Parts: sequence; structure tokens; C-alpha cells
Amino acid sequence: MNDLLALTEQILQVSLVICFIGIAASLILLLYQVMIGPTQPDRAVALDTMGINIMALAGLLSISIVTSKLNDVVLLIGILSFLGTLAIAKYLEKGVIIDRNLE
Amino acid sequence: MSNLAVLPIILPLVSAITLIFFNSKVNISRKLTQIFSVISLLVSCYIVWKVFTDGTIILETGAWVAPYGIILVMDSLASLLILTTNLVATVCAFYAPHAGLEKKESYYFYPFFFFLITGVSGAFITGDLFNLFVFFEVLLMASYGLIVLGGGKVQLRESLKYLLINLFSSMLFVTAIAFLYAVVGTVNMAQIGERVQEVEQQGILTTIGILLFFVFATKAALFPLYYWLPKSYIVPNPVISALFGALLTKVGIYSILRVFSLIFVYKLELTHELFIWVAGLSMVFGIIGALSTNNIKLIIAYNIIPAIGFILLGIGTFTIDGISGSIYYLIHDMIIKSVLFLLVGVIVYVAGTSDLRKMGGLIHYYPVLGWLLFISAFVLAGIPPFSGFIGKLLLLKGAFASGHIAIVIIGLLTSLLILYSIMKIFIYGFWGDKQMLGNLEKKSTKGLIAPVAFLLTFSVLLGVGAEFVYPHIDSIAAYILDPQIYIDSVLKE
Amino acid sequence: MYKPNDLVLRTTTSLIAFILLGFAIYLLLAGHNSPGGGFVGGLLTSGAILLMYMAYGMEVVKKIIPINFTLLIPIGLSFAVGTGLGSFIFNVPFLSQTFGYFHLPIFGEIELATAMIFDIGVYFTVVGVMMTIILTIANDQ
Repeated sequence: MNDLLALTEQILQVSLVICFIGIAASLILLLYQVMIGPTQPDRAVALDTMGINIMALAGLLSISIVTSKLNDVVLLIGILSFLGTLAIAKYLEKGVIIDRNLE
Repeated sequence: MSNLAVLPIILPLVSAITLIFFNSKVNISRKLTQIFSVISLLVSCYIVWKVFTDGTIILETGAWVAPYGIILVMDSLASLLILTTNLVATVCAFYAPHAGLEKKESYYFYPFFFFLITGVSGAFITGDLFNLFVFFEVLLMASYGLIVLGGGKVQLRESLKYLLINLFSSMLFVTAIAFLYAVVGTVNMAQIGERVQEVEQQGILTTIGILLFFVFATKAALFPLYYWLPKSYIVPNPVISALFGALLTKVGIYSILRVFSLIFVYKLELTHELFIWVAGLSMVFGIIGALSTNNIKLIIAYNIIPAIGFILLGIGTFTIDGISGSIYYLIHDMIIKSVLFLLVGVIVYVAGTSDLRKMGGLIHYYPVLGWLLFISAFVLAGIPPFSGFIGKLLLLKGAFASGHIAIVIIGLLTSLLILYSIMKIFIYGFWGDKQMLGNLEKKSTKGLIAPVAFLLTFSVLLGVGAEFVYPHIDSIAAYILDPQIYIDSVLKE
Repeated sequence: MYKPNDLVLRTTTSLIAFILLGFAIYLLLAGHNSPGGGFVGGLLTSGAILLMYMAYGMEVVKKIIPINFTLLIPIGLSFAVGTGLGSFIFNVPFLSQTFGYFHLPIFGEIELATAMIFDIGVYFTVVGVMMTIILTIANDQ
């Protein structure tokens, strides 16, 4: 039984490392996407995806260091990235982020 | 435990917050500023009296004991500097309403003014290296606000320079603190001092010390890091220039004095020897700058640099004469630099230009102003019996005793040239026939002369009353030279 | 005239903004013992208000939230400094803090600390500063 437990622990550790590497690679690729574009919406999508990746990173970190304190952080990053994407999207569509008067 | 030590920080902070509410009502703001600054001045007088009778006041905030909590150490040196700061601030508060700030006053001038005082007082009192950084940031934030106030094109350019150089040095400051924390494992200055003493400041510690010196030298405008100072100090209003010139660079040099008398004092041949040469070069290059220009604001701004050089010379010699000379000169220079900046502000206002070549004969209209400038030139250059003389005498005595003859000669020559650079303003600006005034109208200097004269009185008293002041300064110097007293009083061993 | 379709944004905003505000209050209250506090709570609140600004435009939100955000800065600062000043009244070292357990009608037994008041001050200051910055940039045409 103990052997099995140790094995699962080990599997968890290995898969965590694999996930970290995967996310790191995807973040680098996304950064490249942000730089080359070619159009602004591409960049916006890449930035949004980066936000999601960072959320995943925080989640993995909370598994890795065994704590539940990072759950709020995941939520917070999600919200901020949502706001950021929204602002970029609105800027791309309308040219302003906060309208003076909509009606 | 005594909450007295935190009052110099908390009073300006409360004043600043109150004044934000009254921002749009300029008249009330002015009156409140004057009332608050006088209260702060009286409180700091009381604190000085208390410290000199009962000894150092130590406050452990939140009742966290010494190496763990944030410590405020109100010792004799800090209390004297707080008193001087509040004196300068009070004079500026009375000068400001007449200084032609106009619309700038309603753009949060007075709140920024008090935030600046908060930062400066905090930097003097704190006993914690990281908090020193925090208070540096507080005063820098306020100074960013003040320097861009009402900015034209030139002002914006110079303040950008000022902002960038300060951001860079702040970044280095945090890095240096992080290094130090990694090595000694604490940010409490007394404990750092103790631990550095244990290992006799080996290896990396001296390097960190030099890095910290670099940071403080940038803030204090020492050679070769002074290039940003003169031009950015002349662009704002004279009141703001006076505050900057009197307080900001002095906080930098005070930090050097504190850190290199308490913590890094075991490799004198490396660090303090360097200081002496930096001091000499600062004097030479500062005074060359002051002589090279005809802009009277720039002359005064360049004069900050040799003064800082003189103070650093005392720290470098690290003898009792040198240190007491440094402290004396520090207090003297805080007062006289603000006097000069404010006086030059008045001159520029009445003459309508800051170019010496376009001035002349002002003494016919403004005799009091002329003679005030004349006296302050004497005070600054160190003609006996004024305060500059006592400070320089002690400094040069210290340098002479430690065998740095070349520096003594440089110092004496610099003093002479400082006198010449200020006298140039007097000769070109005030002498001459009435015809030289041209069609210049006589303007009212009401409210501008009185505060400056008041401040100058203190400067003169500091020199004439040296008999009374000197023993106190001497005891502070003895206290500074023995870091063990500070460490014991904070850690209570 | 070209009129963009804001329906999705507006509908979700009315939902999300309140979730955000709730989360902000949660973070503010959680701050004493776990991650959170006045700063991040204030940041999230200003995020929620920014969301409303983006969805409904300047004029409308100004009518809904008639607050002078610049005035929030000194109010928050007074709260924060006020907790320090309390030490002068109770004659304890500056910035001392205390806590106690109270029984409140709805919440039951909870812990209340004086550090909370400081956090509320920070909260107001951060909301004030963030909104002042955002609105200043938005107004700058």
C-alpha cells in the first residue's frame, strides 16, 4: 500500500514538472505571437491566452507547494486578464475604452 | 516607549491630509499651512529639549521588540536635524503665499509640501534600513509632484531627468538592501551594525557598503553623480528649490553619515579614504560649475555640490573634529541654502530676469535685499564669526590632523571661490548707477524679506553663539564615533 | 450611423460587476489572516467600476456612482493615519493593534481587529488613486 502511495506521489511530481515545462513553453510561444502579430486581434487573443496560462501556473503552484491560499490568486488573475482583454477588444473595435456618452 | 518620536512624522502627515480637503480654498490653505508648520516647529523644539536632557528616545512601533519590529530612533543628531527641517519648512510656509505660485497653490502644493516634510523627517528618525528606503520614496514622490507643478517645456524635461535618475538609484537602493539582508539577515540598522562588527566587515560587505554609498551619493549629488542636480533644481518655483536644496541632498548625506558611522566602519582605509577624494573632487567641480555661469539661480544650485563635499570630507576623515564639523556644516548648510534660494527668488522676481548681465543697480531700490545677500555670502563662504567658519574650521582641522594636506588646500581655495561666486551676484546685480536699472519698476517685496531675514538670523546666531552650540555638537560627534552606544540603546543589551 | 452591439457586454457587466464587488469585499475582510487586504480589495473594486465605465460610458456611470474619487484619497488616508493616532489616546506605542471576539446578530462569533480599520483606509485610498488615474487618462483626449 505504501509503495502505491509513494508511486502516486512520484507520478504527481513528474506530471507537475511536465505541466510546468509545457506552460512555460506555451508562454514563450505566446510572447512570440504577441510580438509578430500580424494583426492587432491576434495579439489580443495571445494576451488573453497568456492570462489563462498564468492562471494555470498559479493553480499548479498551489498543488506543488500544497496550499489553498493561492486559489484567490487564480481568481484574481482571471478577473484582471478578463478586464484587460475587454479593454483591448473595445479599443480595437471603437478606438476608445471609456466612451463619453453612449446614448 | 514614547510616542514623542513619531510626532515629527505624523504631524506633517496629518497636516497634508487635512490640506487636501481644503485644496480649492487657497486662503484657508495658506493660513492652515502656517499654523501647522509653527506647531511642528514648537513640537520639534520640545523634542530637542527632551532628547538633550533625557537622552535618546526609542519607539518600537506596535510594541514589537527591537530587531523584529520597526524602530524609530530619535537621537540627538536626528532631533537637531528635525528641528532645522521644521525651521526651514516654517519659513517656506510664510514665504510661499508671496512667492508668485499663483495657480499652482490650488494644485495640491501644500499637501505635497507636507508630504515632503514627512519623508524627510522619517528618513532622519528611522532606525531601519528598509524604512529609510520607504521614507526616501515618500519624499521623492512628493518631490516629483512639486517639481512638475505648473510645468512648462523646460521644467518637464528637467523633471523627467530628475525622475529617471531617482528611480534608478531607488532601484539600486533596494538591490543593495536585498544583498545586505542576504548576507547579515536583518534590516535593523543596529543589528546590522552588530553583525558586521562580528565578522569585521569582510569581503562582500565592503562591496555592499560602496553600493549603498553610490546610491546615497546620487541622492546627495556628489561627484561624479551631480550632473542632474543644478538644472533640475532651478526650474521650479524658488520655494520648491529652497526646500529641495535645503533638505533633499542633505537627507542623502545624512544617510551616508549614519550608515558609514554605524555599520561600515571597519575598513576605513578603503571606504573613508575614497570619501575624502570624492569630497575634494565634488568641491572642485561644483565650484567650477558655479563660476561658469551667469544665471544666478544656477550659481546657487551649483553651490550645493561643494557644500556636500565639505560635509563628506568630515565623514571621510572620521575624527572627532571632522564629524563635529560635518554635523555643524550640515545644519548650517540646510539653513543658508534655503536662505540663498529664497533670496535669489526675490532677486529674480524684482529684476525680472535671472541673467546677471542684464541686472545692475538694484541696491538703489532694494537696500535690505542687497545687504541680506551680502551677509549670507559671508555666512556661506565661512568668514568669521559666521557659522560657515566654525564648520569649516573643524572640518579642515580634522583633515589636517589626518594628514590630508592637499584636501585642506582645495577646501580653502573652494571657500574663497564660493565667496567670489556669491559676491558676483552682489557686484553685478546690486552695484552700479541708477541708470542701469533702466525702466525697471519698483516692485513690492512685502512678505518676502521678513521670513528670509528671520532664517538668516538663525544662521548668524549659529555662528555667533558657537560657544553655546559647539559643546552639544561635540558630544553628538563623540556619540556618532562610537556605534556601540547606538546599538546598545536600540537592542537594549 | 454605425452602432456597435454592446448587448452581451452590458448584460454580463450587470452580473459580473457585482460578483467582482462581492469578491473585493471578501478579499478586504479576509486580509487579516490570509492573502488579501485593503490594497488588492481596492484594486478589484476599481476594476469593477472600470468595467461599468467600459460598458455604460462616462455620463451614465457618473450618475450611478456620484462619488468624487479624488476625495476618497484623503478620506482613506485619514482612516489609516487615524488608527495610528489612536495610540496617542490609549497611551500605547504607535501603530499598536489589538483584536477581540464579538458576537454579532447575523454573523455569529467573529474576530474583529483594529488592523481592519487601517485596511479600510488603504482600500479607500487605493480606489481613489486608481479611479483618479483611470479617469484622468480617459478624459485626456
